[in-house]
Amino acid sequence: MTENLLEVKNLHTHFFTENGVIPSVNGVSFSVKKGEVIGIVGESGCGKSVTSLSILQLINKPGKIVEGEIRFHEKDLTTFSEKEIRKIRGNKISMIFQEPLTSLNPVFTIGHQISEAIRLHQDVDKKEAKQRSISLLRKVGMANPERQYHAFPHLLSGGMRQRVMIAMALSCNPELLIADEPTTALDVTIQKQILKLMKNLSNELNTSIILITHDLGVIAEMVDRVVVMYGGEIVEENDVYSLFENPKHPYTKGLLNSTPKIHQLKEKLQSIEGNVPTPDQLPSGCNFQDRCPFAMDKCRELSPNLVASTDGSSVRCWLHQEKEVVNV
Amino acid sequence: MKKYLVKRLLQIIPVLFIISFVVFVLVYMAGDPVALMLPEDASESDREAMRAALGLTDPFYIQYFRFVGDLVQGNFGTSFRYNQAALPLVLERLPATFELAAASMVVATLMAVPLGIYSARKQNSLVDLFITGGSVLGKAMPNFWLGILLILLFAVNIQVFPVSGRGTIVHMILPAITLGTGIAAEMTRLIRSNMLEILNQDYIRTARSKGVSSNILVYKHAFRNSLIPVVTIMGLQVSHLVSGALITESVFSWPGIGLLLVQAVNGRDMAVVQAAVFVIALLVIVVNLITDLIYRLLDPRINYS
Ligand SMILES: Nc1ncnc2c1ncn2[C@@H]1O[C@H](COP(=O)(O)OP(=O)(O)OP(=O)(O)O)[C@@H](O)[C@H]1O
Ligand code: SF4
Ligand SMILES: [Mg+2]
Repeated sequence: MTENLLEVKNLHTHFFTENGVIPSVNGVSFSVKKGEVIGIVGESGCGKSVTSLSILQLINKPGKIVEGEIRFHEKDLTTFSEKEIRKIRGNKISMIFQEPLTSLNPVFTIGHQISEAIRLHQDVDKKEAKQRSISLLRKVGMANPERQYHAFPHLLSGGMRQRVMIAMALSCNPELLIADEPTTALDVTIQKQILKLMKNLSNELNTSIILITHDLGVIAEMVDRVVVMYGGEIVEENDVYSLFENPKHPYTKGLLNSTPKIHQLKEKLQSIEGNVPTPDQLPSGCNFQDRCPFAMDKCRELSPNLVASTDGSSVRCWLHQEKEVVNV
Repeated sequence: MKKYLVKRLLQIIPVLFIISFVVFVLVYMAGDPVALMLPEDASESDREAMRAALGLTDPFYIQYFRFVGDLVQGNFGTSFRYNQAALPLVLERLPATFELAAASMVVATLMAVPLGIYSARKQNSLVDLFITGGSVLGKAMPNFWLGILLILLFAVNIQVFPVSGRGTIVHMILPAITLGTGIAAEMTRLIRSNMLEILNQDYIRTARSKGVSSNILVYKHAFRNSLIPVVTIMGLQVSHLVSGALITESVFSWPGIGLLLVQAVNGRDMAVVQAAVFVIALLVIVVNLITDLIYRLLDPRINYS
């Protein structure tokens, strides 16, 4: 549990639109260790998806990573050629997306789509790929996998499709699985099954997970460490118990407000007064100042830095700046 | 699938009735054919006798039922210009028209698919702008104008192609380009916008996250999806094809149904007009049906019930 599998360092991803530059992600840094499950939380639009897509270089035009490093096994993925990064995608690092209903190609059978992922990265023939796909489908709990192999996506429920996505994502035993709100679109019972499945499989295969979600309940159940994002920046990072017991950033406190105990966290993010500033309208000074009950004069003038303390946590707030600056 | 097919075929029957009625009414209102059939110095009593012999003095509905009765037997009457049964005359011209239609569809598809895909992949580039502009131009160009222009350029000034007629593949090139260009323009535009939409879909992002290369992404994952609209688009072009064929065949003296129909209209050869219009309408229906069937085969989400 010591070696860092992935290190995101000072990531800046901006969108160059006709109406100007949208700085969606600004200086995000975090790391993921082998076998670790980390959670990224934050309100809609804070840059969670952009961060996760940036890791695999999946940001489309007009978006661009303008600064920063994505170190995977020490190698910076941002310097990889398209061909090199393709060998990572779906193989070493794979993704599951929020929308199970639209994330599978409607004109190919699910079996074909899983087999394709296998054959892209492993030197196996069609027959072998089919056998592996069927056993993956069995593994993710599909009844009658031999028959379901030939099913088109529209015949399956959302939960079933998300199982297919998981099967596909795990088909090459990735070292890192990025799940961007994998259960948000599903109803509660299915949600639990899918999360349990992800957790079991990742334990079995020792896969690290980055789990992105709105749902603090999911965070409490699933992850080891939490990164809280606001306005394209990380505002707090800590291990899951300390974060729930002792949130430091006023934003994190706001999120946890009505959910005091870790075992009772079933609700979605408690809404905080005020609106999330859009990335093109961030204020000078602290991004959270307009909604923060503790805002001071200083907060309106200067942006606080993300400061790490000796216990392994870090926070970006003038109320917690007495310690030494480690991250920028 | 079988059930669906039967249902669709049954639906054709009332449509055919409507067409037969429209065709009949058109000719009924077109005026007195006897005037053209008899010499100018024929007496009024001769004309009257001719009308009675042809059944033209009967009431409208009797004439219509007689028309439908004949029609069911494939009898549209006799062309007085060719002095032959009208239907075989029309059917005889079918291969020529099919040949032209197929050739123009091939020309259109060969132009539109690569251009549409390319301009979608290079959205907002200079090439994209050029292709998009070109397709607006191509669509706006009337068939007869393009046909005459091509004849002037490549048959008169530079004599590489024959001016008119049918025979070798060389004869086919200018007419096929004439008829195919407008269709290609429309198809290019639609394929481009379709492709753009498809490339933004979540499943394309999923495929990319699996490590699929951008060529396979476009030509397998996206193109297979765009085939559905492309087939629909091709089906929709059939009406352009028909109206375009009338003009193109006339410009190039291409001996197809279009030319026959135009000549029959000019010569008031009503039996041939009726037969030609009926056969063309039937063709359009059949092509639409085929389009629909292909569409269903391509899209697994549609069921056949
Ligand atoms: N293609 C794009 N063009 C322009 N701006 C974009 C684009 N994609 C994302 N953004 C901007 O980046 C910001 C962050 O978006 P992102 O999708 O990462 O949010 P998120 O945290 O994942 O939100 P959600 O919880 O709703 O998924 C948004 O405010 C959005 O305006
Ligand atoms: S820096 Fe100031 S405004 Fe920002 S969160 Fe801390 S106290 Fe609130
Ligand atoms: Mg998102």
